[in-house]
Amino acid sequence: MNFEYSEKEKLFRIEIKDWLENTLPKSISDKVRKHQRLSKQDYQTFMTILNDKGWLATHWPTEYGGTGWNAIEKHIFEEEIIIASAPRIVPFGTIMLGPVLIEFGSEEQKKYYLPRILNGEDWWAQGYSEPGAGSDLASLKTRAVNMGDHYIVNGQKTWTTLGQHANKIFCLVKTDINSKPQSGISFLLIDMDTPGIEVKPIITLDGEHEVNEVWFTDVKVPIKNLVGKENEGWTYAKYLLTFERTGIAGVPYSKTALNHLKVISQKTFKNGKPLIEDPVFSSEIAELEIDLLAMEIFNLRTVSAASKGKAPGMESSLLKIKGTLVRQRTTELLRKAIGPQALPYLPEQFDEGWNDTSIGPDYAGTIAKQYFNMRKISIYGGSNEIQKNIVAKASFGL
Amino acid sequence: MDFSLSEERKMLQETIARFFESHYDKIDKHHFNANLPDGFDNKIWQESADLGIISALISPDFGGLGGTGEDISLVFELIGKSLCVEPFLSTGVLSSTALSSIKKPKTKILSEIIDGSFLVSFAHSEMNSRYEECHVETKAVSSPKGWIIDGNKSFVLNGDTSKKVIVSARISGEINDKNGIGIFLIDKDNIKTRSYNTIDGYRAAELEFKNSSGELIAKDEEALKCIIKTNAAGALALSAEALGIMQICFDTTLEYLKTRKQFGKSVGSFQAIQHRLVDMMLEIEQVKSSVMLASATFEADEKTREKHVSAAKNLVGRAGKIIAEETIQMHGGIAMTWEYSIAHYAKRLIMIDHLMGDADHHRDRFRMLSSI
Ligand SMILES: Cc1cc2nc3c(=O)[nH]c(=O)nc-3n(C[C@H](O)[C@H](O)[C@H](O)COP(=O)(O)OP(=O)(O)OC[C@H]3O[C@@H](n4cnc5c(N)ncnc54)[C@H](O)[C@@H]3O)c2cc1C
Repeated sequence: MNFEYSEKEKLFRIEIKDWLENTLPKSISDKVRKHQRLSKQDYQTFMTILNDKGWLATHWPTEYGGTGWNAIEKHIFEEEIIIASAPRIVPFGTIMLGPVLIEFGSEEQKKYYLPRILNGEDWWAQGYSEPGAGSDLASLKTRAVNMGDHYIVNGQKTWTTLGQHANKIFCLVKTDINSKPQSGISFLLIDMDTPGIEVKPIITLDGEHEVNEVWFTDVKVPIKNLVGKENEGWTYAKYLLTFERTGIAGVPYSKTALNHLKVISQKTFKNGKPLIEDPVFSSEIAELEIDLLAMEIFNLRTVSAASKGKAPGMESSLLKIKGTLVRQRTTELLRKAIGPQALPYLPEQFDEGWNDTSIGPDYAGTIAKQYFNMRKISIYGGSNEIQKNIVAKASFGL
Repeated sequence: MDFSLSEERKMLQETIARFFESHYDKIDKHHFNANLPDGFDNKIWQESADLGIISALISPDFGGLGGTGEDISLVFELIGKSLCVEPFLSTGVLSSTALSSIKKPKTKILSEIIDGSFLVSFAHSEMNSRYEECHVETKAVSSPKGWIIDGNKSFVLNGDTSKKVIVSARISGEINDKNGIGIFLIDKDNIKTRSYNTIDGYRAAELEFKNSSGELIAKDEEALKCIIKTNAAGALALSAEALGIMQICFDTTLEYLKTRKQFGKSVGSFQAIQHRLVDMMLEIEQVKSSVMLASATFEADEKTREKHVSAAKNLVGRAGKIIAEETIQMHGGIAMTWEYSIAHYAKRLIMIDHLMGDADHHRDRFRMLSSI
């Protein structure tokens, strides 16, 4: 057994670290560190810088402008961008749609869409979930009727992350209502500027606008925007979901939060002593760290197997469950650590350019908000309950 | 043994329940009132005084009609169900307890609290005092013109609208000494105030005292006893409030899971989900019992009272986290939205653990109080 990264992998990490340090604008990493709102431009700036370097499409083969990295290289890269407090790479075009087009798209679609994802001309949104179709995605109702040279689409998608910035959306639509749920579904590429599309914000419990409803009324979509074959969209959708779950354990996020927690527990006092010296609280931190340590190895075992060509199966479900729980636990301990300082909430603090004084330590104002926002990670991307169903069904033979 | 409410209390309960239901029939009322200039609706406060709700929180010795542990719990369980933002905790419980738990109770102010015309806040917490009872950095010195107070108080509930503020300040000793604390009554005019809403929508303020003159109303042992009693009343009220919220969380989740269909069935029909609902129910029964015990023994000796209040608040902290998180998780995406009321109940439930001592604080206290 050898737990070490190879020399080549270590150099690769250093290259990325150095590059990020020199290239990522401080104005952006500051915002990420302070959990301030990122503008569309912030995301795009970072993705443009990455694309100029050739590092934007980590899940694509080189012939389409991707990096062609193996699983370990992707993993190192994903860690480093989080450590550097870079914005996340908006996944909808790069990580989700790109691989689907490469695998199932027509030559024309690949030639047209892939470069536009890379150069930032298109911002994609993921139109899967509907009000009535969440965990049971296959029960979706949005209808597309084939009119010969175009489809007419009617229905509603929801929870569309960052859809307010998008000019394109890929949707699962029902093209055959008489067949079984999974079989009558098609995968359509839709221009958000088409008449009949309306985007309405959904404000989340922490007061933020990150998700939307997207309504379709008699929307005309050219037939050439169908990916693959009609009524076979479910296969492509499932293929896409395997990409959605990469990096799902969020180990580097939890590591960053754990460090933050330790620093805060040194600065915060309980009964005249730093909180980190409180036997109960420091034990809770220790147990969190132990969980994280083990999970990191679990994650690396999976990554290493994947780099040797073994597609992760139920491992990604298990990693998703544990990863989200550990990450949520970091936000809970942060909240507990600062005690009553978690109460004040200044919404304007998250605006760009805010430079008033905070109430209490500067790190306090975002902590409760983060805790509430992170409740989402065990719900989306296939809820933790659904992951458990998948594991039980796939591996127990019951 | 009889665990049921008296007829009289049942009637009171119904009246108060109806009152809150009429004013807080939609979650929008919570947001609207929280964002009024005062952080609450003065008309509702006045009406609640006329209806005797404030008076239910104050003992007949001071002109009220209640004031026992059971009264406080009865009112606050209903407050929890409504998410009402009026100053029942700050003025109604904390300040009225402080003003009546001293050798010379402030009967005139108490009568003005009861009739709804006067707001007082209780300012004991400081930025770095966490939940500690004796941690007081604010200083008080005696001068020929009377007592002069200097320092800062934090997270003062409704600290922006109150006309007077009850402030703990150190007359002598080190920051954490049990002795040497004084309690002062200070006029709010000329006190620098920075107000804000908490993340769950309740109004609080940071207060800065500079050369402020105050009236000494208790000191040393008397002051500490007053702070402890006030904190206990607050922790009991919050525990009952949390119980009310938990019941709403449970009922709403169950109702939702009955109607929400996925995979052709109601989500509530999956056994994995049913077991978790049962777990929630168990937690709530535990909390309910501990709140009943703390309420019923609130008038007992100090040690019994403190032990039972800490037991309740510890349980509320632990169960509150489970109930809030499970409520959101089992609802799915919808509970992540601002528009749906349950998110705000879950937020309040979590943040109650950040007021008047969290689960850890009360576990430590309980351990100390129950050691032989
Ligand atoms: C912040 C956020 C961002 C999102 N972004 C996107 C996006 O960009 N694009 C997109 O298409 N979707 C997105 N989603 C939607 C997300 O994928 C769904 O919320 C998720 O699939 C769950 O569906 P639901 O919310 O309808 O919950 P439901 O499916 O109604 O589930 C409710 C509860 O029941 C449980 N449950 C359901 N079925 C079972 C079962 N058989 N056994 C046991 N438990 C079960 C669930 O786990 C959950 O706890 C987002 C969601 C959120 C919250």
